[in-house]
Amino acid sequence: MATIHDEIDSWLAADLHGELSNNERNALHAHLLDCAGCRKTHQEIKTMNKILEETLAQEKPDPAFEQRMLAGFRKRAPQRAGLVKLLVDLMRLRAVQITAVAAALLGLVQIGRMITGENATSLRKRYAEAEVAAPQPPESRPSQAGALGRSGGIAAGRPQDLAIPAPPPATRSKFREESKAAAATVAPDKAEQGETTESEAFAATPESPTNAEEAGKTRGESPAPALANRKLIRNAIVELEILSFDNAVQKITAVANEEHGYIATTDSEKQANGKLRGQVVVKVLPENLDLFLQKIRSLGELKKQTLGTEDVTKAYFDTDARLKNAHVMEQRLIDMLKTKTGKVSDLLQVEKELGRVREEIEKMQGELKYWDSQVQFATVTISLAEKDMEEPAAFLIRERAQLALYAPDVEKTYNEIKSLASPKVQITNAQLNRDYSGRVSAQMSMLIAPEESDGAIGRVKVFGRVENFQTQTQRTAQGGNPAAAGSENARTKRDKVELNIAISREEQEQAFQQTSLRIRTSSVDEKAKELRALTEKQGGRVRSSTFSRDPDGRAVANVSLRVPMKNYLAIMQSLDSLGKVENVSVQRQDRTDAQIDEANAPADVSIQVYSQGNIVTEESGLLATLRRTLAQSAGAIMWSLRMIGVAIAFLAPWAIAIVGVIWVGRRIIRAKR
Amino acid sequence: MDPSEREKYQAAIHGDREAFEMIIRTHSRTLFAIAYGVLQSREEAEDVAQDSLVKAWKTRWRVRDPEKFPAWLATIARHKAHDVFRKRRTVPLSEQATEPIEPEPANTSALDQKLHSALAALPELHRAALTLRYFEEMDYRTIENSLGLTNGALRGILGRALTSMRKQLRPALTPMD
Repeated sequence: MATIHDEIDSWLAADLHGELSNNERNALHAHLLDCAGCRKTHQEIKTMNKILEETLAQEKPDPAFEQRMLAGFRKRAPQRAGLVKLLVDLMRLRAVQITAVAAALLGLVQIGRMITGENATSLRKRYAEAEVAAPQPPESRPSQAGALGRSGGIAAGRPQDLAIPAPPPATRSKFREESKAAAATVAPDKAEQGETTESEAFAATPESPTNAEEAGKTRGESPAPALANRKLIRNAIVELEILSFDNAVQKITAVANEEHGYIATTDSEKQANGKLRGQVVVKVLPENLDLFLQKIRSLGELKKQTLGTEDVTKAYFDTDARLKNAHVMEQRLIDMLKTKTGKVSDLLQVEKELGRVREEIEKMQGELKYWDSQVQFATVTISLAEKDMEEPAAFLIRERAQLALYAPDVEKTYNEIKSLASPKVQITNAQLNRDYSGRVSAQMSMLIAPEESDGAIGRVKVFGRVENFQTQTQRTAQGGNPAAAGSENARTKRDKVELNIAISREEQEQAFQQTSLRIRTSSVDEKAKELRALTEKQGGRVRSSTFSRDPDGRAVANVSLRVPMKNYLAIMQSLDSLGKVENVSVQRQDRTDAQIDEANAPADVSIQVYSQGNIVTEESGLLATLRRTLAQSAGAIMWSLRMIGVAIAFLAPWAIAIVGVIWVGRRIIRAKR
Repeated sequence: MDPSEREKYQAAIHGDREAFEMIIRTHSRTLFAIAYGVLQSREEAEDVAQDSLVKAWKTRWRVRDPEKFPAWLATIARHKAHDVFRKRRTVPLSEQATEPIEPEPANTSALDQKLHSALAALPELHRAALTLRYFEEMDYRTIENSLGLTNGALRGILGRALTSMRKQLRPALTPMD
């Protein structure tokens, strides 16, 4: 039993703990009889087991242990109320969990749709509605179109009946066929409907001469029976362009007479360019209207023609019926007065009523008469305009000049210009301004007769230095469109010249050329004086001058002067005599837009006259070098300090954030344990 | 595992409080023994047993298979005990020095001290097996169930544990004979 011997420990332990089967126990005991070592071990283990049982039994929990555990458990895991418990228990089942998650997801989806899908659903609904509604139009359209076609046929047919009471059978039958076809087959779309009405309108208007002429011939013989009862007011508006207005009016009168009509009114108006424009109203018999229009058209170029018909039949017969009733009423009232029974007050009442009825009768009769007159004659309004109506009558040339002047004494110049005033030179506006700093400027406007303009402007220019002079010419057409034909024939007239003058003081003028330079000399004071004298000799002015002397004995004089450009070169050359000229810089302004009198334009020269000091400066030598070095190193240290500050400002937030993250992470890890 | 026991575990998993309390009655000593095996301190072991039960109740729905319920309980107790052990180890050294690991050093004899130190020297699993055996006189089968071991493994463990104790305590054992 090598195995028992090798694993004697576990065998013995199992034996002690009573966990061996009978066979195993027998085998073990057999081995123990054979093996002395194992017997010893057996003894030791038995003792060990006893000690353990004794010692550990002390450590064993007391009998109340279970009760304590239960009490603690009940305290720390209290029983939940029925529903909550049920829910909590339910939530622990996998199926319930899945269902809950699915429900939550569905809920979210639904909420999302409610928020965003509101429009989508309504849109879809609208589409559905549109689809339902869509099939309808094709069904309803033909009937509508048919109705339209029919009514169009009737509407267009009326003037046709009227204008051509007995049209040639061919056209008539054709028209009938067309309108019948339109009515019977129910025009499927508007295009066809439009076509039919168009063709009908074509037939109605007297566009085709044969049709109209034939109609004119047949008119007298067979008056249309349909027309007898109709009350139609016809009118036409024609716009013509003719060569001569008077000629045209004469011709219209002749034609009107021919067609049994008359001229109702004429009016004419003469335009600025001598052309006539006017209106003639002609009354002709309605049956002659088309022929009349035909003849009128040959007078000139037709610009526009409209033909209208107003059917007053219904209103006319209504009024007629009411008139008849009123007559009956009148008769009755008269009878009542004749019998003369009843009270006086009643009779008075009757009298009053009679008066009212008669008034009504008169009104209705007037109305009927008016309609009769309107129906009897058609009104043709002819607008006539002579050719080249738009031709301009004349051109006006207007000149406008702007003059900017620089004068040494603004006020004096202002008065001088004012004295130029004469009947031909009118001063419309003169203004002298003085601002808070005492600067004076003036503005003047004048109107100059065209023949005087050049002379007057020339005189004004002399008063100062011209900075800018601009003229502007405008050509305007009078009474017409300048682009219209015949403009070249028009007269040209010159209007008064408008001159605007602005006067400013000379000092305010910007220099045309600016020069700055330095002159080194030993005696600054003297040279500065010399410079001033030189400037005056050259016709310039010293604008400013300063003089200073510092403790080192260096003297500096700043002189700024202004000379006319023509003397600029001379003064520059003479500067050489004053000392050593240094650092010359010249700046020139290019004023190309303005017309400048260059010779008189001002040139500014600013000159610094200076002398070298007597004392050697401290800027050289050992001490100065040392001082400079120290100053520079201090500067460098300050700079690096600043840079460190900047770096800290950049890095500090990051460092704080990292430390914070680490701290939170540690807390979390600790909490997990 | 017999069907009635299995049913009991199943009911406990589904939140039957009475079934769970029954389990507490039958298993709390096992949990205590396991915790004691790790900590060798009665108070701490009792606390661990209590904590383990509460935790088991709160997370009972994690157990899918009722058969594994006892083993799962034991695992919780072992982990809890380890947590406590780890915390104890992080107590500053000075405190550790003044307070020895043995909780009741006063009323123990020299043999007891030796026994405890020998126990402390054992691997944790061995200790747990020993405590289960000697506290509760459990048969091997129950221990196997609680610790998730096979029969052979448990026999080996107990045998080695006893031998190791025996070897350590031999000087003390001989006078006793």
